[in-house]
Amino acid sequence: MKQTRRNIRRLCLVLCGLFVLLIGYAAFSIMTYGNRWFTSAQNTYARQKKSDVIAGDILDRNGIILAVTAEGKRQYHQDAAVRSAMVHAVGDEKGNVNNGAENFFSSHLYGFNMTLLERLGFAVRGEKRQGDHVYLTVDSRLAAYTASVFPGDKAGAVVVMNYETGEVLTQQSFPNFDPENITYAVRNHPKNPFLNRAVQELNAPGSTFKIVTAASALDAFADAVNRPFQCTGQLQAGLRLVTDAGTKLEEGVITSHGQLNLQRAFQVSCNNTFARIALQLGDEQLRKTAEAFGFNDNFLFRDLVVENSSYPTENRNEGEVAWTGAGQSALTATPMHMCLIAAAVANDGVMMEPRMLVKTVTPLGEVRTQGQSRVYRQAIPAEHAAVLQQFMRSVVTGGTGTAAAIPGVKVCGKTGSAEKDTQENTNAWFVGYLDEEKSPYAICVVVEDAGGGGSVAAPIARKIFMWMLENGYAD
Amino acid sequence: MSKENKSRRRDPARSLLSAVMLFFFLGFFMLGIKDGDWLSFLLSLIVPAIIFVGTVGVAKFFPSDKLLFVLTNFLCALGVLMLYRMDPQKGLSQAVSYGVGVGCMILCILLVRYMPDWKHVTGLMILGGLGLLALPLVIGTEINGAQSWIRLGGMSVQPSEVVKLALLLCVSSLLARKKVLISVAFAAVCLGVLMLQKDLGTALLYYGVTLVLVYAATGSKTLVGCGLAGGAAAALLGYSMFAHVKLRVSIWLDPWADPQGSGYQIVQSLIAIINGGAWGVGLGLGNAQTSIPYAYNDFIFSVILHEFGMIFGLIVVLVYAFIVIRGIMIARRSKTAFYALLATGCSALIALQTFVIIGGNIKLIPLTGVTLPFISFGGTSMVSSLCVIGLLQGVAGHNAAQIKEDRLLAMGGGETE
Repeated sequence: MKQTRRNIRRLCLVLCGLFVLLIGYAAFSIMTYGNRWFTSAQNTYARQKKSDVIAGDILDRNGIILAVTAEGKRQYHQDAAVRSAMVHAVGDEKGNVNNGAENFFSSHLYGFNMTLLERLGFAVRGEKRQGDHVYLTVDSRLAAYTASVFPGDKAGAVVVMNYETGEVLTQQSFPNFDPENITYAVRNHPKNPFLNRAVQELNAPGSTFKIVTAASALDAFADAVNRPFQCTGQLQAGLRLVTDAGTKLEEGVITSHGQLNLQRAFQVSCNNTFARIALQLGDEQLRKTAEAFGFNDNFLFRDLVVENSSYPTENRNEGEVAWTGAGQSALTATPMHMCLIAAAVANDGVMMEPRMLVKTVTPLGEVRTQGQSRVYRQAIPAEHAAVLQQFMRSVVTGGTGTAAAIPGVKVCGKTGSAEKDTQENTNAWFVGYLDEEKSPYAICVVVEDAGGGGSVAAPIARKIFMWMLENGYAD
Repeated sequence: MSKENKSRRRDPARSLLSAVMLFFFLGFFMLGIKDGDWLSFLLSLIVPAIIFVGTVGVAKFFPSDKLLFVLTNFLCALGVLMLYRMDPQKGLSQAVSYGVGVGCMILCILLVRYMPDWKHVTGLMILGGLGLLALPLVIGTEINGAQSWIRLGGMSVQPSEVVKLALLLCVSSLLARKKVLISVAFAAVCLGVLMLQKDLGTALLYYGVTLVLVYAATGSKTLVGCGLAGGAAAALLGYSMFAHVKLRVSIWLDPWADPQGSGYQIVQSLIAIINGGAWGVGLGLGNAQTSIPYAYNDFIFSVILHEFGMIFGLIVVLVYAFIVIRGIMIARRSKTAFYALLATGCSALIALQTFVIIGGNIKLIPLTGVTLPFISFGGTSMVSSLCVIGLLQGVAGHNAAQIKEDRLLAMGGGETE
């Protein structure tokens, strides 16, 4: 009997444990996923309730109003160019853009997180409930400028962020559209303007991924910086042949870099060498580094939804691994993620969580929630980041990215010309950052189906950085 | 006299009872105002009255744990309120089940209190229980994929709910007499029958309760280890054999893969919970009953969270936890192995059932179709849950009588308090 009693006491702990588990799991999942449930397209209740609430305003970092409710109608910035440039960050009333601020911050905008007292106050006064105003980290002037320099007929994306705080200054997708005038042409556009390519479209990152391969080599080989490599122009890896940009086998033209070291290979973006490095590293080591940079992770950023990047784990034969080292194979990432990778290198290996929210302000003008910078993770050790910083600087001073150079400013970067199966032309990529104490900004430019990263994307990045330095981002 | 009054006022059960009665009076009253429905006003008086009778009235005649009564009555009435708010017809029929349940609970108290020896009826109960459990396989109807129902004069009855009680009584009685093998065999046969009926949620409960009781009685780690291994093997077997188990598991892993189709229920449940927020959208103001299928039984907890909010939901979970802890306390105070095991089994059953269904609602575990005790719509479930409380209270009565006796012996008899 005594023993039975002891057993029962133990069982009591187990049974109580079940309840603790229930409450703990509920709290955890509501905290982590709650906002995603709330903003999901399946939430019909919130959509119905929106008509009962006056939605709050959306403003940019300078206090410029991007969306406002006036006379019961949702209105966007008065300038069509600005509201088109901002449409993917802000979203639209109808929810054509997934996870724009209109949708993602709807719990703030529609006052769902009001206290009981506030709700009672509105009920007692007999007023319509009013939601909070949302201040975003984005800059609408920068977005308008970016839109003006982006090739009009191309699809693509631009992301600019502060690599020290994670604040996203702009995240834009092209083609964009005017949220107040959604025409038949927009709805039936072959390139789907509703898609936010900055965070939703997964593509092969191409040579920009060589940042990751190089980081992996620094991690695995003690002599990575000095080890000599021989580029022969062609590398047979398993069933696949790795060649370099400019090689046309049919015409017998083979680009070859001869003997070079890691920095030189990075500077000229030598596929051959990076394929060799990938084979020397092995799939596992390369995947480990890629996962340290956030590949295969379930991104659960608090302020924005970013599609998960993937480092492939199936069909890993020699040819695939070799091409992965050069950023091809089944590897996919969003422009936002590649921008985060460049930002992590710039920030001494520390990857900041991208932020969209500055603060939310109640109708009475009090700050309700304040956005906070958080570290996403330490992607690589600081000393490896320092080496990569040199590499990325050399790309702009005398490599594939010279078109991004600005006299007197330390621009660093990496170009990419990523192949897509379905397209004639390659996707032009440029990821980079300013190595300036007062201007800690990282960028990612992607122009789809447009050609080489160095010739197409890098000049756009240069223009954007120039504009920023001239317009208050240098002090 | 004045001393007695004072002690009454201090009684936590009493103040809690008043709060609970007030809660339901207001709940139904507000529903009445909202819908202009006289029946709601009537219920705003009747339901608190049932609570009062089910608590004070029963406790007066049968020595038992009053706090436990208050808590269970709170949950039962909450079920009636939520169901009435979603569908008045269902609410009324639940209120009737509630009344019947209180009657059955009293019967169970009496049974435990005045049945001197269970040895002779165990065999009979085992046979009867198995027969009843197997009945749906012969004359049963299939509801929601599980063939565990029989039609009885226009009503659907789920025999597994009734056999639960037999399982508790038999296994406790057998284990108290160290007949481990027979009790495990009985439970195993029950599990087999339930698997055949594809009623996996109930099978899980039977399994869990038996495992808990075997551990409590023997404390043998090898036995429990074997039980866990057997359970895991059965789960794997079920997973590979039944397509709908595979589906349930894949929905559990990622309901958002098909939010409009297979994942619809759980996705809507999660959305309803988050829409409720901390304080809920308000009684009668939600839309969960139209967006979540099975809002009356499987997902009633999500509806409660939606309309009353997460803080209230936390309180409801804590009420369950408190009932379980109270039950375990009763078990630890009882003087014979049989009563200790019976009370443990009852507590474990409530704990497991609550865990399995709420866990399914919040995507902690794959969803299985068991009812939320005391709250979900369903007469059989309500009656059997209240009977489980009846069994617990019977043991509590025994304990109280025992303590009285001991005290009398210690004082040399004579004085009564």
